[in-house]
Amino acid sequence: MIMTTNPLRIGLRQERVISPQCLVIFGASGDLTHRKLIPALFELFKQRRLPSEFAILGCARRPWTDKEFREKMSKSLTEEIRINPNDWKEFTTRLFYEPINLDHPEDTFKLKTRLEEIDKLKATHANRTFYLSVSPKFYASGCKALSEAGLLKDPKRSRIVIEKPFGRDYRSAQKLNRIVQNCALESQVYRIDHYLGKETVQNILVLRFANTIFEPIWNRNYISNVQITSAETVGVEDRAGYYESSGALRDMVQNHLTQMLAITTMEPPGHFDPEAIRNEKSKVLQAAHLANELEPWKCCVRGQYSQGGTKSNPLKGYREEVGVNPNSTTETYVAMKLFINNWRWQGVPFYIRTGKRLAKRTSEVVLTFREAPVHLFDAAGGTPTSNQLILRIQPDEGAEFKFEVKSPGSGMRSRPVEMEFSYDESFGEPSDEGYVRLLADAMLGDPTLFTRSDEVEAAWRLYTPLLEMIEDSPWQLPTYQYESRTWGPSEADQLLAKDQLLWRRP
Amino acid sequence: MSPQLTLQTPLQIPPQEIPGYLKSLWSNDLSENNGANTFCLLVWQPAWIEQKLVTNGRINGPILGNERSELIDEARKIVLEKNLPHSTPPLAKEVFTSIPASKSPNKEDDLRGQHIDSAISQLQPRRLITLAPSLEKGKELETLVAAYCPLPEEGGGNSACGDVIVLKGDIDSLKKGLCIVENLIPEDLPSWLWWNGNLDEEPELLNQLAIPTRRVVIDSALGEPSRCLDVLQQRIKSGQAVNDLNWLRLRTWRQTLAMVFDPPNRRSSLSKIVNLDIDIEGDHIVQGLLLASWIADKLGWRLVNEFSKDGHSLNTKFKRPDNEIVNFHLMTLPVGKPSIHPGQIIGMRLICKSEKESQDGLCVILGSESGECMRLEAGGMASMDLLEELVPIQNNPVETDVALLLESSRGSTSPLLSNAAPIAAQLLNLIESENR
Repeated sequence: MIMTTNPLRIGLRQERVISPQCLVIFGASGDLTHRKLIPALFELFKQRRLPSEFAILGCARRPWTDKEFREKMSKSLTEEIRINPNDWKEFTTRLFYEPINLDHPEDTFKLKTRLEEIDKLKATHANRTFYLSVSPKFYASGCKALSEAGLLKDPKRSRIVIEKPFGRDYRSAQKLNRIVQNCALESQVYRIDHYLGKETVQNILVLRFANTIFEPIWNRNYISNVQITSAETVGVEDRAGYYESSGALRDMVQNHLTQMLAITTMEPPGHFDPEAIRNEKSKVLQAAHLANELEPWKCCVRGQYSQGGTKSNPLKGYREEVGVNPNSTTETYVAMKLFINNWRWQGVPFYIRTGKRLAKRTSEVVLTFREAPVHLFDAAGGTPTSNQLILRIQPDEGAEFKFEVKSPGSGMRSRPVEMEFSYDESFGEPSDEGYVRLLADAMLGDPTLFTRSDEVEAAWRLYTPLLEMIEDSPWQLPTYQYESRTWGPSEADQLLAKDQLLWRRP
Repeated sequence: MSPQLTLQTPLQIPPQEIPGYLKSLWSNDLSENNGANTFCLLVWQPAWIEQKLVTNGRINGPILGNERSELIDEARKIVLEKNLPHSTPPLAKEVFTSIPASKSPNKEDDLRGQHIDSAISQLQPRRLITLAPSLEKGKELETLVAAYCPLPEEGGGNSACGDVIVLKGDIDSLKKGLCIVENLIPEDLPSWLWWNGNLDEEPELLNQLAIPTRRVVIDSALGEPSRCLDVLQQRIKSGQAVNDLNWLRLRTWRQTLAMVFDPPNRRSSLSKIVNLDIDIEGDHIVQGLLLASWIADKLGWRLVNEFSKDGHSLNTKFKRPDNEIVNFHLMTLPVGKPSIHPGQIIGMRLICKSEKESQDGLCVILGSESGECMRLEAGGMASMDLLEELVPIQNNPVETDVALLLESSRGSTSPLLSNAAPIAAQLLNLIESENR
């Protein structure tokens, strides 16, 4: 008999319990709410991590009732509800809805009254987490409206979660930070990056700082280069409207990939404390820069997917997608080379790439170590392969270490082998969605996995030369076409070829 | 982490004046501050052995009510001096009764309830009420009050977040003073009772304090096993949120065992277990029974009505869902230097037999860091796949464990404990009925 779950594992988690509170979701009629937020909250409910004194208040412009909201929220959870009908029934008694337009000041006062009613009904003690799942253009006005209604007054009882993207560039992020910080203390602001909710991204911290074998070699003396890849097989899908104005650089690099870069390269914090960790992340991002800031086209390649696929399954090019300008120059692929100017990383190139419609869905960090100083043995492949540590973020979450061993037989030839750790094989159960972890942390008041204002600004500052060039003289950074379901434009391969390197083929 | 003191010297105030004093404290001195919106913790803290050792001059005062090393070391000396069995835990009832009462007791300060361990203060309790019974017969009720604020590095700010109330006196005067306690507990916040003493003592007082809506923290390692499991069972049945420190201390055993069976290729062995052996320190069997019961519950085993005793080994059987028998041996081992917590597990072994003769079975041995598991390694498992794991010792001060419960309790009893406690009680009944 094969057991799908480990019966001894069930119910073993002992985690901090969220204090009584009401989670207020603005933009509750949007996709994110029913696709990610409500499923994540339901998961927390099933895991018994939500207190009995808990409520969710959905807010959006649509004139829904509580009942309609509950029905709409069930649509992404059909299978879950079929398996756990009683849990869902119980969960929905905590779901409420209030039609709100954040542009109307009178609506925020209406919201205040409704929250007071919910406080009485569910004993939520005026503890509130406000989640801005709205269009980025409403972040500033939303914060102001909440502040003016006095809903952010008590820093111990109210906090605000802001989705990405936080700004469009360094200046707008700085401006938005100022507005937000005028409305609430930094300790009340939780800027979400769902990549930080991934178990495997958090595991980079544990791998580095809970083991003694990695940290001594995690530096320029032993590491020759680092590649960070986040590849998707899907195209722009139904996000053309947003994607046309953002592109891969804003959509993926400035946030997710930069966070992976920061976690991979930060100095060890003195203790596992939110501020200590965020200080180190911020410091390393401030030390990062493009390999050639004056001539960014020499260290950055942009691409855009064109048609591809097979005869039976043809794939559209980006410019043919619904909602995309047929002459669009928005990048769906970007690759670049960075350096970090500090003692640990001076001279080590960091190659970052992300793209849509690539050959394989994968996210990984690959650390390639320096070659052995003297080659004593013949290698099966001509020269010995450099040691590599591969941290697989998704899918097949895990880690892999490549090293040379003696090839069996007479003689002393070496060949590379792999040592592997797989989450699936070791733990056998899927980890929680990033939103489960991040929602719980926000409601617990733990900001460790959220980005602080200085981190966001440092991340935007890093890419400012590119963003300015794309804005002012886009011809200097053209978007090269690449066939759908390939590994991006050949110009990206040349970026590494100049350094006698190749992108790893995952 | 060192304990913290209240920031102001506690004021001695007559009991009837406390509500008025607190009202004025929060409304006048600390205007616009209503205190932390967290919880109220009521602590029964007898510290009998410490009181006796301090009044006898065997350890230095003041009386603090925590498990400081000086107290434990002196109590261990008494075990040897009084020829108590070496397995006697240092804070056991037998140690207390063997310390003679002092004819000219030392007068030392009694600071129980005024030292707040930082593990608890980090959680910013709104109100801490300590009941500190005195050994001194005829001691009148004394009540102390102070505003309290955790240090900034413990999560506190500049403003006061809670208050501390201490009720001291002999048992009779404390009981008389109890009428004020309920009025002091904020109605709109969760309230907890931490019974930081033996479950055999003062059952009426326990009932009086552990009202159904209150979350209770007990230690099922302190008291007669049958009484401990009775309290657990009754409270769970009544729907009260019960948190057991003895169960909490099992968490590393549960975690380590679960970890062994995390890889999917090992899980099928769980349905082929034929033997379960658990070794414990001394003869307080509750923790051993709880671990076996948790496993039985998770794997769907039913208890078989059979019991035998063989030296230190208590033997019973379970039936697996496929009706095959699992032999369970609970070994009560004498040890030289027992833990302060009675009946701690020091080793366990699971033997899983493969259905196919040609395949090896699996033997899982978990050993405590403090002990060794040579006994469990013996017995002809050479042909089996052997998995040995070391279980980390939990040397947390009790306040750290209580803080863990305070921050992780969901306002109801853990379902794992709710399911395991009745099986443990059945096992104990079986063992005791055969022993009678």
